[in-house]
Amino acid sequence: MRKDYALDDKSVVVVVGSGAGGGTLSNELAQKGIDVVCLEAGSRLTLSDVVNDPGIMNEKMGWNDPREGAPIYICKTVGGTTMRWSGIAPRFQEHEFRALSAYGRLENTTTIDWPITLSELAPYYDKAEYKMGVSGTHNIPVSAETNEYKLLKAGARKVGYKEYTSSRTAINPVARDGRPGCRQIGFCHSGCSIGAKWSTLYTEIPKAEGTGHFELRTNAMVLKINHDAAGKVTGVVYADGSGALQEQKARAVCAAGNVIETTRLLYNSSSSLYPNGLGNSSGHLGRNYMRHVTGSILAIMPGAVNFHRGTRQSGLIYDEQYNRPERGFAGGYLIETLGTDPVSVAAVVGGWGRSTAEYLENYTNLAGIWVTGEDPAQVSNHITLHETERDHYGLPIPVVKYDFHPNSMAVFAHASKQSEQLFASLGGRRMLSTLGVGGGCHNMGVARMSADAKDGVTNRWGQAHDIPNLFVSDGSLFSSSAAANPTLTIVALAIRQADHIAERMKRREL
Amino acid sequence: MVGEKTTRRRFLVAAIAGSGSLASGFGLSMIRASSAWAQATPDQTRDLAKTLGRMARLLYPHDAIADDVYAEVVDGILSAVANDAAMTGALDAAVSALNAVQAANWFDLEEEQQIAAMTKVQGEAFFAAIQGQVMGRFYGHPKVREFIKYPGSSVEFGGYVNRGFDDIDWLPEEA
Repeated sequence: MRKDYALDDKSVVVVVGSGAGGGTLSNELAQKGIDVVCLEAGSRLTLSDVVNDPGIMNEKMGWNDPREGAPIYICKTVGGTTMRWSGIAPRFQEHEFRALSAYGRLENTTTIDWPITLSELAPYYDKAEYKMGVSGTHNIPVSAETNEYKLLKAGARKVGYKEYTSSRTAINPVARDGRPGCRQIGFCHSGCSIGAKWSTLYTEIPKAEGTGHFELRTNAMVLKINHDAAGKVTGVVYADGSGALQEQKARAVCAAGNVIETTRLLYNSSSSLYPNGLGNSSGHLGRNYMRHVTGSILAIMPGAVNFHRGTRQSGLIYDEQYNRPERGFAGGYLIETLGTDPVSVAAVVGGWGRSTAEYLENYTNLAGIWVTGEDPAQVSNHITLHETERDHYGLPIPVVKYDFHPNSMAVFAHASKQSEQLFASLGGRRMLSTLGVGGGCHNMGVARMSADAKDGVTNRWGQAHDIPNLFVSDGSLFSSSAAANPTLTIVALAIRQADHIAERMKRREL
Repeated sequence: MVGEKTTRRRFLVAAIAGSGSLASGFGLSMIRASSAWAQATPDQTRDLAKTLGRMARLLYPHDAIADDVYAEVVDGILSAVANDAAMTGALDAAVSALNAVQAANWFDLEEEQQIAAMTKVQGEAFFAAIQGQVMGRFYGHPKVREFIKYPGSSVEFGGYVNRGFDDIDWLPEEA
């Protein structure tokens, strides 16, 4: 039932990107009978392409085009970063949608409240969790307890934490939805080789194809969004697999290329009508780039843990996610397990010589925690275009600038102390805290939703304030970062946006 | 600011871990044929390999690991970077810098002096470049993985669902 749409078919919705946002939105629209052309810059892997080797998988699915700034681990492949994500899928909390009201104006931040509330998003969280098969929700069984989770739980009890779970993970605990249960393989960040972890590659995309209302074009790098004299978008220009430029007409365009590429696309679509980038009359495009404060804490435990066995992130503690200013910072954070390979351990431990080597000789007994916490929006953290460097399409490469806010440093200092206490309560020693993105990066906020058009790029539906038939459909929409891993929220927003687009089309407004 | 340094370091590692798994199976003969080292004599190449092998051991000293493993790691690096002028330059710079610290052949110094010399040059760009290369290849080496009990790929063995993903046995009893 795969469809082929003509390039001059103006009736289609073009979705740029096939990951958590774009893949989900495509399927949701197609299920409603709306014709969708999804343009994905990468190629389409099959499960047999997925091997337990992070280096090889980075070659196959990583976004390795030139970029200035620190690495951000995005993906150029069908499925996008749903191939690389850990599967952890907690919801944001009520107060996190009111970041400005709840935290106040922190110095040098541009924090705003979301234009939507948790109660508005809750029904879509339900749909997202059910779709993705999040363990421990909607009668889906809980996840098995790995060695590392058991350790986390034992430590949590010792230090007095009350809320912890091995679940809330979009990895099938048992076979469901045509996909098998987890076999505790342990290379979740390099693609799941059996498809137990939710990825749009083998869920949303084939389901969309089954509707007869969807076409996926791979190796199709979108370079520019076109518009007419009235300012409405009319289609996109993309380079196909052979490098030839094509123009696909569209009734609406939805950008879901992950934060960096979504920004670059909107900037590269500048015109005399939109000299500062498409949808950027506010000046906020590419600004307010958030990542979460993330980092890891390692420890040598008194017995074997074997943290390479089983899902890489197999449980979490919620107790610190609340906003309790008496801790010395705004917002909260989640404590999650972390298992990793020896090369990564060596990198985290750093240094060289006997001390580092001894750490590695304790590999069997290592335990890890990964922290993700609230990261306030700052104007100075941004994605821009390089002034001189060009990629092989002749377009400016992206420049990523990011510095931690003092609040984020305070979050991580607290998280490190708590994690060290947790490990120490079980006899852990040589605790090592490392602030940084590690093997994954939560990109958020560069086309944020705002109630007031002056404060952001998109409205409460992810529709550009300036252009009614231009949408943003990825993590760029986030008005604030919250503490939790972003994928579930991206999926929930995409499902909600699909409802909105369908409704507008029914009313002949799109 | 604090995060950038760490992320760069890890990126280097990720990139190297990737090349490490792809670049095995080449020999020293390739290096002499390469453009960057076209002028190197067999003796010079051997000296370079010897010095880097010693450096690799002092970077990650595991007494249970034999010298030939460190030599293989260096062999892998030399093969992989043979056509990379920046990297071959870094290797040559390392040898020159280490020899210059004591105005003597670094390789012939006592271990303590060798470590002192390395400590002195550890802030140089070439040092980080070499350490990154050694890190990825050494801890990715099958014999090192075996020694520290990291088996690598597990999908071909059915993962760990029936092989101990939940066999931890030393935690305090649940209340």
